[in-house]
Amino acid sequence: MYSFRRFDRSTFLLIVLLVVSFLLATFDVRAEGSGIGTTMREGAQTLFSPLQRAMSAATRPVVGFIDGISNIAGLRDENERLRDQVAELNAKIRDQALLETRVAELETLNGLETPGALAAVSARIASPGSSDFDQIRWIEKGTGAGISVGDAVFDDRGLVGRIDVAFEDSARVRLLTDPNFGVGVRDTTTNETGIVEGKITELSLKMFQAQEPVAQGDLVVTSGSRFPPGIPVGIVSETATNEAGFALITTVDPLVEMSKLDYVKVIVGWSPLDAGTGGEVPLDTDPNAPGFNP
Amino acid sequence: MSRRAIGLAIALVVTSVVIQTSAFGAGRIQPFGASPALVLLVVIGCARYLSAEPALLIGFTAGLLLDLLGGSALGLWAMSYTVVAYAAWRVRERADDGPFVIGFGVLLLTVLGQSLFAVAGTLFGQRILSNPVVVKHMLLPAAYNVALAVLVLPLITRLLRDRRRGWAL
Repeated sequence: MYSFRRFDRSTFLLIVLLVVSFLLATFDVRAEGSGIGTTMREGAQTLFSPLQRAMSAATRPVVGFIDGISNIAGLRDENERLRDQVAELNAKIRDQALLETRVAELETLNGLETPGALAAVSARIASPGSSDFDQIRWIEKGTGAGISVGDAVFDDRGLVGRIDVAFEDSARVRLLTDPNFGVGVRDTTTNETGIVEGKITELSLKMFQAQEPVAQGDLVVTSGSRFPPGIPVGIVSETATNEAGFALITTVDPLVEMSKLDYVKVIVGWSPLDAGTGGEVPLDTDPNAPGFNP
Repeated sequence: MSRRAIGLAIALVVTSVVIQTSAFGAGRIQPFGASPALVLLVVIGCARYLSAEPALLIGFTAGLLLDLLGGSALGLWAMSYTVVAYAAWRVRERADDGPFVIGFGVLLLTVLGQSLFAVAGTLFGQRILSNPVVVKHMLLPAAYNVALAVLVLPLITRLLRDRRRGWAL
């Protein structure tokens, strides 16, 4: 049995806490990355970061062991597939070396400058967020390393996301797959531009004025509207054509496997105004950084 | 309700938050693409022994910490964990003791917490219900929590034993 008096008080407290939660959510959504919410997040990060790093270091061998066990069945097939891939890539490398020589000769002839490397900071993933619903990662570097809100984040395969919260020693990456993430892209085959939006497991590509169809297997890269141009984003997974009066809509598979992220790079000090002055993003700006294999 | 019990409950929540945000999740321990909702399990465990007000505040605090360390808007996890703490506190006085009841209770309360977050998140523009694997993210953590309850709930019982009011293990 429980007393009416106690039930009454607890119900009142429940209502108060629900109202407080509702108000917090409302203010946080309206503040869009500033205000009291950011101050509270910074405080929580400062308190919990050292504990999280210690726990990550302690559990890393266990995580590796469990990961290994869960993947052991697929290792043989993966090994065979990788051998085939290595042979294929070796052939491509030989072709590319020839092409690079020819491109260099042509650039010299045309008086073109090779695009300079953009400044990038490498950082390790500190935390994958607090639940399976989260499409974020916390990284171990922040404004102290030159990182600021809006910076593009990538790894050796392509675009990972953007910085949406930055503190002195940590920053939060909003992943490309988040439904609230959008970025301007260009199809490298047709040069048509559009917008890619996150859909958790895949991406949605929308083109409003496309003249040419988008084919399965096309590579889409950033167009330079928000991030530096040329960062690989994904591969079109379904062919689509544009019908008069309607937007072309199809799906794209992200190049980066978000569940395997360990190290990422953040492009610092770039603004959309630089889009016309820079070139494609070199993804091997720091080949010695761990986790990056040019 | 002793200050010692409340202090222990806070320590348990903080520890579980650290484990949840560093050992579980994408790229960490996440079997079949989902991880246990350890913090929720600790909140349920504490609600079995604390009185109503501390249980609700523990639920709210645990949820708020997850909000602060996660990617959702502040208050969403706090809202759902507060409701779960309240439900766990209410149920404990009526439920019979026994592993089946406890397991079933943990399963339902975990699904309740995950579902409330998904609905509240969608209402606040987080588009969680459009997630194609949302059902998996509700059901698998609940199943994992039932398995983890065998370890976690006896530990909480041991720490808060003298506050026991039901749902023993």
